[in-house]
Amino acid sequence: MDNTVIISTPPHVKSRRTTKMIMLDVIIALLPCTVMGIVYYRLDAFITIITSVLAAVICEFIYYFIAKGGFARKCKDAKQVCKDFLHQFDFTSIVTGLILALIVPSSVHFYEVLLGSAFSIIIVKMLFGGTGKNLVNPAATGRVFMLLCFSATMGGIVTNAVGAVVDNGVINTSATVLTDLIGDAGTTNASFLDIFLGTGITGSIGETCKLAIIVGGVYLIIRKVIKWWQPVLYIGVTFVITWMLYGFNGLTALDITFSGGLFFGAVFMATDYVTSPKSRMGQIIYYIILGVLTSLLRYFTHVEVVSFVIMICNIITHLLDRYCIPHPFGYVKEKKVKAPKAEKAAAKDAGTKEATK
Amino acid sequence: MKAVKCKAFFRGVHPHDMKYLSNKCETEVMPAPKVVAISCSQSLGKPAVPVVEIGQDVSIGEVIARQDGAISSDVFASVCGKVTDIKDLVGASGATEKFIFIENDGRDDKKYFEPMKDEDLTPQAIKQRIRDCGIVGLGGAGFPVAIKISPKSPVDTLIVNGAECEPYLTCDHRLMLEHTDEIVRGARYIARSLDVTNIIIGIEANKPDAIAAFEPYEDIQPVILKKRYPMGGEKQLIYVCTGRKVGLGKLPADSGVVVQNVATCFASCEAIEQGKPHVERIVTVTGKAVMQPKNLWVRIGTSIKEIVDYCGGEKVKPLKVVQGGPMTGIALSTYDVYTHKTTSGILLMSPEEAKRDDPTPCLNCGKCAEVCPMHLLPMNTAFYATAGDYEAAAKYGNTLSCIECGACDYICPARRPLIQSIRATKAAMRGKKK
Repeated sequence: MDNTVIISTPPHVKSRRTTKMIMLDVIIALLPCTVMGIVYYRLDAFITIITSVLAAVICEFIYYFIAKGGFARKCKDAKQVCKDFLHQFDFTSIVTGLILALIVPSSVHFYEVLLGSAFSIIIVKMLFGGTGKNLVNPAATGRVFMLLCFSATMGGIVTNAVGAVVDNGVINTSATVLTDLIGDAGTTNASFLDIFLGTGITGSIGETCKLAIIVGGVYLIIRKVIKWWQPVLYIGVTFVITWMLYGFNGLTALDITFSGGLFFGAVFMATDYVTSPKSRMGQIIYYIILGVLTSLLRYFTHVEVVSFVIMICNIITHLLDRYCIPHPFGYVKEKKVKAPKAEKAAAKDAGTKEATK
Repeated sequence: MKAVKCKAFFRGVHPHDMKYLSNKCETEVMPAPKVVAISCSQSLGKPAVPVVEIGQDVSIGEVIARQDGAISSDVFASVCGKVTDIKDLVGASGATEKFIFIENDGRDDKKYFEPMKDEDLTPQAIKQRIRDCGIVGLGGAGFPVAIKISPKSPVDTLIVNGAECEPYLTCDHRLMLEHTDEIVRGARYIARSLDVTNIIIGIEANKPDAIAAFEPYEDIQPVILKKRYPMGGEKQLIYVCTGRKVGLGKLPADSGVVVQNVATCFASCEAIEQGKPHVERIVTVTGKAVMQPKNLWVRIGTSIKEIVDYCGGEKVKPLKVVQGGPMTGIALSTYDVYTHKTTSGILLMSPEEAKRDDPTPCLNCGKCAEVCPMHLLPMNTAFYATAGDYEAAAKYGNTLSCIECGACDYICPARRPLIQSIRATKAAMRGKKK
């Protein structure tokens, strides 16, 4: 053979699906939420989303530029560095930036989003080693960071423009449906249809329209990015426990389940590959713990906790990975020995026989 | 018997089978080459010991190397002529093997065993003949058949493996179409030697003509298998055909089943009816880089260069040359490699087929675990093996149960070389056990 050939371990054919394509699928699935967010919250939402995504990508680039290899060499060879960056860029920071923008309310200032996005990418993702190495979900952690740092704007939730009366551009700020429901009021004026479609209610940019989230989720399930039972299990467990906590009141439980960030978290954040368990058994336990914690903490703390709960469970993930290892195909469970004495004697016999041999 | 559909096999992958390249090509007999180089390591186990000397004349079917120990098989001259050299060379697998070179004098003298008569066909005699003729499992592993059909536990079913789940390969498919009767007779002989009456033949659904070919036989049950890789894996095939699971570290015979490839059945039939030792086999030459894809009857020990030349040479420069199927075959660095008893295909992959992306970081997406037919966690193995901790790799990935089918590596969206990690782990653990 006079030409160059590749020598590698089998298999010599590969599926067409790459990490980039999976991430692109996630971005496509997020589009309905993004569009509905912009429809509901207009320019504010648009600015938040653009800021967040751009900040995420630029932060990744800056980190790549500074941290990987000599800084001086890269300054000289900036063009090549840009090419390398584009070559290894796998859309994960776009996903992180987009999710972060969709889980904050439109009332945040753009510099707050910028800081939150930078925190998500640099501190949570890149410092731990980049794609696939982060311990906790960057977007969820970014939101928690913003909630703690900028609680004034994060708390002041804006009523969206569709269906609600906005007088001369005066922004209505009020508590969310969820805070109404799980807080002292215990009731809400919004109908279930309003909660489902997100018309005229308050909330984060991408979380209000449940229909858009479900459309995105169905797309992800069809594209086999996530499995159907994962969000269903999380939401289902939350619903059942909420139902029991609120004295078996089905309607209230339904309202609580459908409001807040639960749907968005269940479809897009809890199912994040990097921070969810590897084995099926581990995943089932993970989603059940998520559901239980979400419903209990909502009941007892009266605040929205989905991001916190996802962060906590991301840490449990590593424990689950260690102990939930599936048995290989053909594994036979060892039967408990009924007569251990006889067996031991036999084993001893065999041992001595071997020794004498 | 009427073909039945089988239960689903719930894991595995769907690679594009690419069989259209060669599945319409009828088998051709390739003329015997001028020189053959026959390896002494033709089967699993110990290599055979040469019993001929340089300069000696041999005829087709004459033993040139004797088996050494129980798990080993005899090696036969595949052309008639003079032994010119016996030397160590690096074989296709990268290991050094002893090769016997025979120069063909074109006389084609045959020295076969006596054909067996019907009344001689006792189980013992059949086993002895299969052992004498050096028949090995032709599915890929090359396990000596004589040992496989002398199981220690009672057996009630014989499964004939016609799945051919590897993409590209069509040698078994053509064999099933053109030599249906011989395969059935061979399967009957093997069944007689095992004293079983229940014969099942498993064929993937993408070969409906082969399934139809087996339906007229009353004593054979064709099973239509879903098209999925690795359907032809021994444990998976047993599970879908009979619903039995083969325990870890156990043999199929422990579950009362023996599996034989269709090509093995054909070779056994020839060994018994004609006394013909194992000197030739069907090789599929395919891929988008070869001029004419073909299914060829090739003498064992033919160089791959001659086979490729016989098929019209290269259409485009191949980026990868593979001996065997694309999922488990060996990538070759040179055409100076000689066919074995187990060489089922030669694959010349064009640059577009063999294109390989750089590995990116593992996303922990779990696709590898989802498709693993053995229910393992390949990502754990890769993670720990890359860090050099092979013990943890074996513990958290259950690596030692791996059948190395390559499904995880195929599906991995991050393009990680999982099989490489798995093999490294297995080798390291084997070293530790010793």
